[in-house]
Amino acid sequence: MTSASIDSKLIARFSAIVGDEQCIWKPEQIQTYECDALTSFHAKPGLVVLPRSTEEVVKVVKLAREAGLPIVPRGSGTGLSGGALPVAGCVLLGLSRMKRILEVDLENQWVRVEPGVINLEITKRIAPHGYYYAPDPSSQQVCTIGGNVAENSGGAHCLKYGFTTNHVLGARIVLGDGSIVDLGGPVLDPPGYDLRGALVGSEGTLCIVTEVVLRILRKPEATRTFFATFPSTTEAGNAVSFIIAAGILPAAIEMMDRLAIVAIKAATGVDWPDVGAALLMDVDGPAAEVEHTAAEATELARKAGAIEIRIPRDAAERETMWRGRKSAFAAVGRISPNYVVQDGVIPRSEIARVLREIERLSNESGLRIANVFHAGDGNLHPLVLYDAAVPGQEALAENIAGEILKICVRSGGSITGEHGVGADKAAYMADMFSEEDLATMNMVRCSFDPEMRFNPGKVFPTPRLCGDKPGKYVAHATEIAGLAGRG
Amino acid sequence: MIAHSPANVDEASAVMALTYREKQRVTFIGGGTQQQLGNPPADVDAEIRTARMNRILEYAPADMVMRVEAGATLAQVQAAAREHRQMLALDPPNPDRSTIGGMVATGAYGPRRARFGAVRDLIIGVTLVRGDGVVARGGGKVVKNVAGFDLPKVACGSLGTLGMIADATFRLHPLPESSETVVFERLTPEDVVSLVASVRQAQLEPTSAVALRTNHGTYDLVIRFEGFAKGVEQQTSGVRRLAAGLRMSESGGKPQHSLDEARTNGALRIKLGTLPTRLPAVDAVLEPLLAALDRSSFAWYATLGLGFASGNASDMRAVVAALQAARSALVETGGWLVIDAAPAEVRREVDAWGPKPGAFAIMEQLKLRFDPERRLNPGRFVGGL
Repeated sequence: MTSASIDSKLIARFSAIVGDEQCIWKPEQIQTYECDALTSFHAKPGLVVLPRSTEEVVKVVKLAREAGLPIVPRGSGTGLSGGALPVAGCVLLGLSRMKRILEVDLENQWVRVEPGVINLEITKRIAPHGYYYAPDPSSQQVCTIGGNVAENSGGAHCLKYGFTTNHVLGARIVLGDGSIVDLGGPVLDPPGYDLRGALVGSEGTLCIVTEVVLRILRKPEATRTFFATFPSTTEAGNAVSFIIAAGILPAAIEMMDRLAIVAIKAATGVDWPDVGAALLMDVDGPAAEVEHTAAEATELARKAGAIEIRIPRDAAERETMWRGRKSAFAAVGRISPNYVVQDGVIPRSEIARVLREIERLSNESGLRIANVFHAGDGNLHPLVLYDAAVPGQEALAENIAGEILKICVRSGGSITGEHGVGADKAAYMADMFSEEDLATMNMVRCSFDPEMRFNPGKVFPTPRLCGDKPGKYVAHATEIAGLAGRG
Repeated sequence: MIAHSPANVDEASAVMALTYREKQRVTFIGGGTQQQLGNPPADVDAEIRTARMNRILEYAPADMVMRVEAGATLAQVQAAAREHRQMLALDPPNPDRSTIGGMVATGAYGPRRARFGAVRDLIIGVTLVRGDGVVARGGGKVVKNVAGFDLPKVACGSLGTLGMIADATFRLHPLPESSETVVFERLTPEDVVSLVASVRQAQLEPTSAVALRTNHGTYDLVIRFEGFAKGVEQQTSGVRRLAAGLRMSESGGKPQHSLDEARTNGALRIKLGTLPTRLPAVDAVLEPLLAALDRSSFAWYATLGLGFASGNASDMRAVVAALQAARSALVETGGWLVIDAAPAEVRREVDAWGPKPGAFAIMEQLKLRFDPERRLNPGRFVGGL
């Protein structure tokens, strides 16, 4: 059903807005857009448009509304929760061509960018002046700022520096009726509700973001990295607890278990030993403070039972260590035909106990589970390895991943720390939130997008409507073209 | 006026449901430090006080997370955290009276915002009692969490117009081992901007940098470093070296209260926001206002671009004219000016919030979705919300 609801006349009208090259509808070309990095979910969009300006976005939104079509926004498609999964027959609005850095104000520490700008490009642009953009998701070489805003992306260094939401100062958005609205800007605390707080992490369900104002930071004077190995994740977890209890706030503390280390070694050639667990840690800040905290943290890691502590000789070796960590998912992909990754969060003090429960699930099911995660904030990334060619294994792996999420919620945590709910975890929202909580969140959504034009079917476990717009009458939500398929 | 003092979230829910059935207009009172912020709420039938909801509900020192009821004071939270060498990294004025609910409702912050952010950056969960009595929770009790819409951020700064904040959960920080304050005296506004730039250029990381305007029309810049002693020592001597290069003098510590003076003294108090480098323009724009006030003071959070001016108004006409001029100059360049407290004569002439924001239509929808009958703090917020 390439275009069951989109006929050639309508395609011509979209083409007229964005140009033929930026309007994709042929079945063989559209395939790329059927899923994001969560490849087990896919659906065919009606067509894909790649606008190059806010004005083009406005026209696309107005035309989609006129035609009664849902709109699903997309950046680079690196999301792991199916946030950019099309609704069958929708207008998929790709923002990757809007990739200009519009303004840089170093003195006041902000930049204004289009949503298709790649995360790392911002740091590359301002690094020569000694500045950087802090949120660093592992996909930062390819993921877009628009996608980061949608998902409230984190990264290893958000332990100290916060998430995307702590760095977004403002945004220009296009609403479902095509109106352009500015939320916030470079000046802090504009009067009114914190709508940019509502926007960041809303997973493309409120509007289309066409510009973002981001806070940038001065590079710290010093950064010290160390890599410590341990007999098991228990000792590594203790080291994390000791370091935090000593009042040290590292920029990042990442943990990898035995299977993750094996995979990373095989994929990247880092010369890490075969051990039960490893920590990769950064402390940064003023030089004297870093000297102190690095020495203290190293000592505490030894006290917790570290086998070996390596300090990179130079920037290149540090880079290699971090590249190893950041390529973990891809590395696991090389030791197993398929895997499911989850993103649950637990209180830091529960790490050792929850890892034992995950190990039990692995033993019981016979499926291997690799753990590579942000230990400082308890954000787990269990990778459940399976082979889709073996009947029943995919379903088993999905079940285990779901069990892990339930363990996280029972431990007082969350079903997602940085990947988002998307299509993947919508069914688990009810484990974490009551019907009243979800209905209240829906009020926020309805105040932006009463017709539910944008990314319908995501985040919430069951479809919801907005009811009449308070204050004045507005036509009811258009029927959604269809539901996403699975397979 | 009926006053209610619920003792917990269940009682708060029952009280809110009652006001819903009776169609009563409601206002909320925590420590009462910010009651003058915004427009006075119109024709209120009932007030709900949070004073009895003052428990620390959960505190997990190993996770550095604390969940607190709305009526607990900041001082109470800090005392509990201090036992484990931790703190909630927020330092608004009046910690003995400022309550957690009030801090969330007003989006509180103090000088430490320079390093740790405002309440929006430290809140990780919230319990809201909606106008109809329904209890809704958002966020959670882990620092990293993107499940669902960010209700905690929506609650921040909403000034009791969306619902009652029953409790909030925060991430905590380690209590600094050491703290040093350096004061540079009698700087011009231009000097303040360039010294702050040099501090950043030198990769020093103060936890606060506040410029206080003196009666000579110059500024004392109060820079504080906090953290491990060795880092604080290095940075303090680092900043002294910078100042030597810029030919500036330096003297010993100033007590905390002088930093808060502009935010607490006087019958007229305003706050304003603009870009940090615009201090010279702000200084010129505020000059007529400060001149029209008795016992005026002005504090400028130098890395944030946020300022606080206060004093007592005698010549109301002059004050009103100066306020209006200052506001239009700020708004023209992307900034804002908000009234924290003012005599009735000033309020009649100058709106508390200024022009409606560009996103007002969405804000109004948000208000009406949560409170369709406009019963919660009616008229107090931006644009009469």
